[in-house]
Amino acid sequence: MTTTTFIIRNALRNKRRAFLSAMSVAVSLFLFVTLQVALRELTIPPEDIGASLRIAVRNKVSLAQPLPVRQLQVIEKIPGVAAVTPFSYFGGLFRNESFTTFAQFAVNPNRFTNVFVEAKASSEHLQAWIKNRGSCLVGLDTMERYDLKVGDRMLLTGTLYPADLDMKIVGTYQGTLDDRSVFFHHTYLDELTDDPGTVGTWWVRAASAEVAPQVIQSINSAFENTSSEVRAESERAFQMGFVSMWGNIKMLIDSICSAIVFTLLLVSVSTMSMAIRERFRELAILKAIGFRRNELLSFILAESLLLSLLGAVMGAGGAAWIFHYIDIQALSGGMFVYFEVTERMLGSAFLIAMVLGVLSGVVPGLSVCRMSVVDGLKTLD
Amino acid sequence: MNPIVEIRKLSKVYAQGEIQVTALDNIDLDITPSDFLTLMGPSGSGKSTLLHIIAGIDRQSSGICKVQGIDLQGLNESALADWRNQNVGFIFQSFNLIPVLSAYENVELPLLLTRLGRPERRKLVQTALELVGLEDRAGHLPKQLSGGQEQRVAIARALVTDPALVVADEPTGNLDSESAQQVLEILQSLSRDAGKTVIMVTHDPRAAAFGNRTIHLEKGRFAEPSTSEAKA
Amino acid sequence: MLPIKYNAKNVLLRWRSTLATILGIAMVVAVYVMVQALAVGLEKSSANTGDPRNLMIVRKGSQSESSSIVTLEQYRSLLYSEWIEHDANDRPLFTADVLTLVNLPRREQNGEANTTLRGIGPMGKVLRPQVKLVEGRWFEAGKREVVVSKRLAARFANFGIGDRFKTGPDWLTVVGWFDAGNCAFDSEIWADSDEVRALFDRDSYSCLLVRPVNAEGLTVLTKLVEEDKRLQLLAKNEVAYYREQTMTATPIKWLGNFLATAMSIGAILAAMNTMYATVGARTREIGTLRVLGFRRRTIVLGLLIEGMLLCSIGGVFGCLLALPINGYATGTIGFESFSETVFEFTITPALASQGIVFSALIGLFGTLIPAIKASRTPVIDALKSL
Repeated sequence: MTTTTFIIRNALRNKRRAFLSAMSVAVSLFLFVTLQVALRELTIPPEDIGASLRIAVRNKVSLAQPLPVRQLQVIEKIPGVAAVTPFSYFGGLFRNESFTTFAQFAVNPNRFTNVFVEAKASSEHLQAWIKNRGSCLVGLDTMERYDLKVGDRMLLTGTLYPADLDMKIVGTYQGTLDDRSVFFHHTYLDELTDDPGTVGTWWVRAASAEVAPQVIQSINSAFENTSSEVRAESERAFQMGFVSMWGNIKMLIDSICSAIVFTLLLVSVSTMSMAIRERFRELAILKAIGFRRNELLSFILAESLLLSLLGAVMGAGGAAWIFHYIDIQALSGGMFVYFEVTERMLGSAFLIAMVLGVLSGVVPGLSVCRMSVVDGLKTLD
Repeated sequence: MNPIVEIRKLSKVYAQGEIQVTALDNIDLDITPSDFLTLMGPSGSGKSTLLHIIAGIDRQSSGICKVQGIDLQGLNESALADWRNQNVGFIFQSFNLIPVLSAYENVELPLLLTRLGRPERRKLVQTALELVGLEDRAGHLPKQLSGGQEQRVAIARALVTDPALVVADEPTGNLDSESAQQVLEILQSLSRDAGKTVIMVTHDPRAAAFGNRTIHLEKGRFAEPSTSEAKA
Repeated sequence: MLPIKYNAKNVLLRWRSTLATILGIAMVVAVYVMVQALAVGLEKSSANTGDPRNLMIVRKGSQSESSSIVTLEQYRSLLYSEWIEHDANDRPLFTADVLTLVNLPRREQNGEANTTLRGIGPMGKVLRPQVKLVEGRWFEAGKREVVVSKRLAARFANFGIGDRFKTGPDWLTVVGWFDAGNCAFDSEIWADSDEVRALFDRDSYSCLLVRPVNAEGLTVLTKLVEEDKRLQLLAKNEVAYYREQTMTATPIKWLGNFLATAMSIGAILAAMNTMYATVGARTREIGTLRVLGFRRRTIVLGLLIEGMLLCSIGGVFGCLLALPINGYATGTIGFESFSETVFEFTITPALASQGIVFSALIGLFGTLIPAIKASRTPVIDALKSL
């Protein structure tokens, strides 16, 4: 028998306690990792490949205010602008759902593909879409989720606009981070709403990353002191604007994570102490035999580290494994798309487990070292 | 007079790991009411096992054990528990008092299983405590009492339901000689003056001397034929 | 039956060794209560809005007032209905509001958020007696003046009395603060509806609010509005309308329940560990009780009570820990309105009781297995144990 086997056998001598200890570490670290992942996705939305070149232009008053169509010609002429498309969020409801998980946007199909370059659709689908005003392009994820085929009808009930849409699905796209959206002709929407001559937003693609900041500035100043002042910002800034509306959510989730870690610590320390106290007599015998203090301490530490690292593997590792395989989109009703467990999170989890293991071993370990052999042998309980 | 305990061909076998251990081997025994019987023998001789079976906290593998005419084998768990409560008083080597309860509350415990009201219970508890000379320590917790005092509280607890049978498993094992003397005198008086049947397991011959009959056990059997040595 | 004081004394006596578990459960309950307090606060901010006598009219299919459109035609067709109450000067209690979202900066560089600007008609205040002016004065018709909710003023820049902020083509001056008693209006900025329409070039209104003459009138008007196919409008009791706008709280509640479930698993494991140890130290004691005649199930019940008592103490601590957050005012984006909704963390007695019951249940499930196991040990083994 080597020292290692001795430690392992000791750790597992009370299988039930070992299991419970490791499991409570596992559950808490699972929760910790899950919250970190949710937080990350909510506050730092993932970026598409073409994002650095794209610019969002909205009404300065708020995103809810429309922009006049005549702004298009002005924007097109600005140096550095490679492409621009109208982009209006329709926000319709699909199939009697009270909350639809995919967004729908009215765009100019020809211009759209020049701005959102990572959306890949077959040329056949694209041509069909461009030609037919009552048609739409649907993201692959939504096609699969609702079991739709090319040729099906897409019926949407309007909530923001006083109009319901009835379109034909002529193609699908994929390749973006959010392959769920539906894109259709802005002219079709205009027809249904008596052509108010407005759009929701403009999306612009800058010619290069270097000119993008200049383009933003130009767009903003082009409409200063007009009846519809704009706010042009990079796609990133636009996304972060949404995040900012959530308010203090980051603080909330961080606090919860801290509470969990703290609770975990308390519980593990207490469990380990109980385990050690049960074995005072046995440890006293080891001392009598001749094991030195720091050897005893290292046995105890090794055992507590073993259990907490086992818990980390089950909890953090389990989380990583589960989130890799389940469809988080379906489960969260579209609130989360990616749910990725990063290396950094796993690292933090394991670090926490190690600190936990050390602390929960050290506290009772020190009292073991201080105990005299005689007292230990006398311990009945 | 009918024996209070009748034992015929009693055997107890149990498994220790893979080995079969015979604790009691075909014992026959009659115990007379008001006897103070001592069971002696080396460790593993079966004396405690015999005591446990008579007291209804263990069951035999074969044979008959009747106490006050009742075959204990025929009682289920619950019935046995009730029977013990009313008919047997227990005294253990390590006292076994409930640490969080006071002396009074410890003695009161067996009465909580009866239908007696608080005033009746109080009377019985006080009587029991007076009997063992600890009425002024009623409010003390076990940790505030000496070993001898703890054991006397245990005796009071054993008596509070006025059982016919009192069993004691090495009652003086953890006591100094003075306290031991006190306890043994009380046990003797229970048998001689109160008419209770006392069965005591011990390995101390000086303790055994307090009884009026001694039985030796070895390897589950009687080592010498059981003789009645009635003492005046 | 084992005396309760036996269980209670055991719990109190062994507090040191069970302290960590009690604190752990306290934390679990505290987190649960705080997250649910968020949800409760959010719900409350919308729930008690409106006057039960009023009827709200919006476009059918719109999810909130700001996305609803009521045309001038529709407005006029309802204005002269005989079923609408009139005030002392014989003016109809009827207001046509126009709502718009305005993106404004928060205080202390805390980012920007959409806020709801409500342009109200002259009867707008009268129909909403909930809303009371607390400082400054009401805006004057025809002027670019606004009154803001006091709670909103605490969160956003440039909302002090006398301050100005720019939106659209012009500057708006804050002339007063109001308090709506912690309802949905507390997240709004109010101005004159004609000014708002002019500012944002709007022809139509967003919604209508009317006071029918009586309950019968309410029914009649509702029917009138909904059965007119041309109008495509929806009529609803004002209180009911706002009460249904509580989807924002839903994901928070979901989060709270998810956290509670996950944390409770960990807590149950911890409680189990503690109870195993507690029970393990008392094997001889439990054996003695059985010898004395106490039944197995009595002992199990007693241990369950101990476990539940222990954990409930943790639950009470948890509620106390969470208490400071009660009343903490903050805001987040409302789901239906798509604009900042101010609310206060609210711990109701019901919520606190939930927390304590939750902790008792943790105690129950954590103690069950150790208790049953302890009671099953054969009596003699129990007596023999060291």
